[in-house]
Amino acid sequence: MLQIIIQGLLLSGLYALIAVGFTLIFSVGRVLNLAYGAYLMIGGYAFFFFSQQLGLPILLGVILAGVLGCLAGLLKYRLLVIPLKGDHVAIEISTLILAVVIQAGIVLLFGDSPKVLLPIVPGVTQIAGASVTFNILTATLVSWAILISLYLFIKKTHLGRAMQAVSMDKKGAAISGVNPDHINMLTWGISGTLGAVAGVFFASYTQLSPSMWVAPLIIAVAVVIVGGIGSIIGTLIVAHIIGFMEVIAVAEIAPELRGVFTMLLIIAVLIIRPQGLFGREEIQ
Amino acid sequence: MNIRWYHFALWAAFMAVMFALPEFVSRGTLRTVIFANFLAIFAISWDVLSGRTGYISFGHPFLIGIGAYTTAILTKRFDVAIEASIPIAVIVTMIAGFIVFLPALRIKGSYFALVTLAFMELMYQLVQVIRPDLTGGTRGISGIQGITRGAVNGYYLSLTLLLVVAVTVWLVMRTRVGTALSAIGMNEESVRGSGLDTTKLKLFAFLFSALIAGLGGAFYAHYVGAIAPRALFDINFLFTIIVAALIGGAATTAGPIIGAFFLTFLLEYLRPYLPGAERYFIYGGVALLLYMYQPKGIIALLETMKDRIIRRSST
Amino acid sequence: MSSPLVISNLRKTFGGLVATNDVSFSVAQGESLALIGPNGAGKTTIFSQIMGELRQTAGTITLFGNEISKLSTPARIREGVSRTYQVPRPFGEMTVAENIRVGLMPDNIWHMITRSGNADRELELALSVGFSEDDLKRTPSELSMGDLRKLEMARTMATGPRVMLLDEVFAGLTVGEIAQIAALIQQMRKDGMTFLIVSHDLKALEPLVDRAIAIEQGTHIAEGPFAQVMADDAVRASYLGAA
Repeated sequence: MLQIIIQGLLLSGLYALIAVGFTLIFSVGRVLNLAYGAYLMIGGYAFFFFSQQLGLPILLGVILAGVLGCLAGLLKYRLLVIPLKGDHVAIEISTLILAVVIQAGIVLLFGDSPKVLLPIVPGVTQIAGASVTFNILTATLVSWAILISLYLFIKKTHLGRAMQAVSMDKKGAAISGVNPDHINMLTWGISGTLGAVAGVFFASYTQLSPSMWVAPLIIAVAVVIVGGIGSIIGTLIVAHIIGFMEVIAVAEIAPELRGVFTMLLIIAVLIIRPQGLFGREEIQ
Repeated sequence: MNIRWYHFALWAAFMAVMFALPEFVSRGTLRTVIFANFLAIFAISWDVLSGRTGYISFGHPFLIGIGAYTTAILTKRFDVAIEASIPIAVIVTMIAGFIVFLPALRIKGSYFALVTLAFMELMYQLVQVIRPDLTGGTRGISGIQGITRGAVNGYYLSLTLLLVVAVTVWLVMRTRVGTALSAIGMNEESVRGSGLDTTKLKLFAFLFSALIAGLGGAFYAHYVGAIAPRALFDINFLFTIIVAALIGGAATTAGPIIGAFFLTFLLEYLRPYLPGAERYFIYGGVALLLYMYQPKGIIALLETMKDRIIRRSST
Repeated sequence: MSSPLVISNLRKTFGGLVATNDVSFSVAQGESLALIGPNGAGKTTIFSQIMGELRQTAGTITLFGNEISKLSTPARIREGVSRTYQVPRPFGEMTVAENIRVGLMPDNIWHMITRSGNADRELELALSVGFSEDDLKRTPSELSMGDLRKLEMARTMATGPRVMLLDEVFAGLTVGEIAQIAALIQQMRKDGMTFLIVSHDLKALEPLVDRAIAIEQGTHIAEGPFAQVMADDAVRASYLGAA
């Protein structure tokens, strides 16, 4: 029982980190970035390259991965989102194509076979009879630290409030002197950074492979649908619901069914409450 | 209906070229064309729903997979004759499409795309664990009975299927129902404001699309002989279908066919020069650039060219 | 014969805001009724409730004796009521003829497929709102605001209404176009059509209506002959207050 709680907390922390960057773009820019999973892949592989192949310090590796993710986000905004002028369908489709292109690019650079990422923080400890690697523990702690700072950033800083304003009413924000374009750009950058950092931890939790972008994308999608848009707290709660459902499914039912309940939850929420459990209703 | 003589001329020319093809090309090329034919059927199926009404489906592999699995399980595990198993597979696919449609009724835009994606992932995971004795679990089903032998026969079968599907879709979409579905894609509220029940229209598009997907999926399973969850319920497969429809030209019948052939042959012709993974990189890149340059697809590019030539010759 | 349109005790609230406050009125057969009031008075909200695009909080709407308050929008249109919108909403990539065709379609998919459309009726409707035969092939991006309103009018007429709700039909139109639409409305009145009209162009509106109802903040404040309603103190105060 205790083991389930601990594992649930650890996995959920990781999931919250994975989802938050995706939620951010969906809330502020109102577009589905289907290439979001590719940030995680870029982050994971960049970290692998810098710290495992070049032997750079681990922290530097994480930072460089984040920088690359940020660049990817900014480029995507400049080269895809702006030319498509906010056409949602076109952005969804083109980000999907982009994800496949990035996948092919990764195969090109690193090959087809999966790679094992050495633990970022080596070592194992025992908590209440469950063995917990320092690696996943660090991931969870970092994830909480990032989520709390992001929450404070959005609630307390001028820039964060501007992001909120754009997410609620683009025109209104523009009238009150906020440039939605700059805010969008910033959001894409932050989202890319968050995705890449999440990718480092996700990869160390599972492994690096060119198709690793699909699973986190599905998790992010689930969190956004179930939680609704525009709520970091909602993202956190739903990441825990999904994380615990998976851990319980694996422990009590069958490991193969880990994702099934997540999908059923998505479908159920969409039928019962299309705006999500914690999201605001769209204002017409 | 607004059908002109040159429409028939174009269809006849297309059929003539396609039926004569085995005389001119190698067996290897023929196998490539067979894949293009199936891809074209899947892309048409996607287009009937998403290209016309603007409701983007990320779940078409779900429908195709159900068609393929149903007929594979029926013929392989229960010795049902193919003549019966394919129609059953089509009906099962339509029922599955209807089940997806119910939650999708209440949602619009991006959420619709996401729920269809969720269905695909759900199916991918379920098919591996529920009754693996029937579905073959992770490894899938192999040794599925074929309908024909040899590349030439396989080619004619896939071509006939493509032509039947394409001509049917073309005829239906030229009637007022096609206009109404496109109208939903442009402004759903105005369609309701014109007194038309859009739920009924969307259900029709969904079932018609599922019918084609199930039919294509079932024939495809019998052609390739082996199916596996990761090959069917897969984002890369989804990508190929959607891109074929869009690159060719959505909301047209010729578009998805052109797109499917373009993609298949792009991949095939890159092979001698780029034997490795670079091929997919370039393939995706070309698709992305083409889509960004002309979201209406190759068919729109051809039309601009035609207009330019006509204008030049007339001045 | 029962009255074409009867609104009884219609009420609509958005949270604490009362958008329609217990409004009742009826329109007689062949009558043309003006619905007037300052911006934000709740005229369009009443239209939306009659059409079922907004669901009323309380009250009933009856069309030719049948209660329609619980029907869907398309079902209400089939019952014989149809409206135009302040902001025209054409199908952007379709020709004028195709836009009108959508309005003419039967709500039956089998008939849509098996029976062909009525091109003559499309042309007739297009001509009646003032399009020329050449205009049939044009698309909305090539049309002026006035043309878009005419197109909207034609598509609304195509659904075969017995009661038409016109929302700001004259906004953005040239003097010539106003005269043309006004003549069309007069012709349709002679043919027995029942109208409920909202317009800020009171001068153009006056000759087109038999009677007027004034609304302020969702509340019915005056009713009677047009000139009398316009002279009403409460109505004048509401317009001045809005200005």
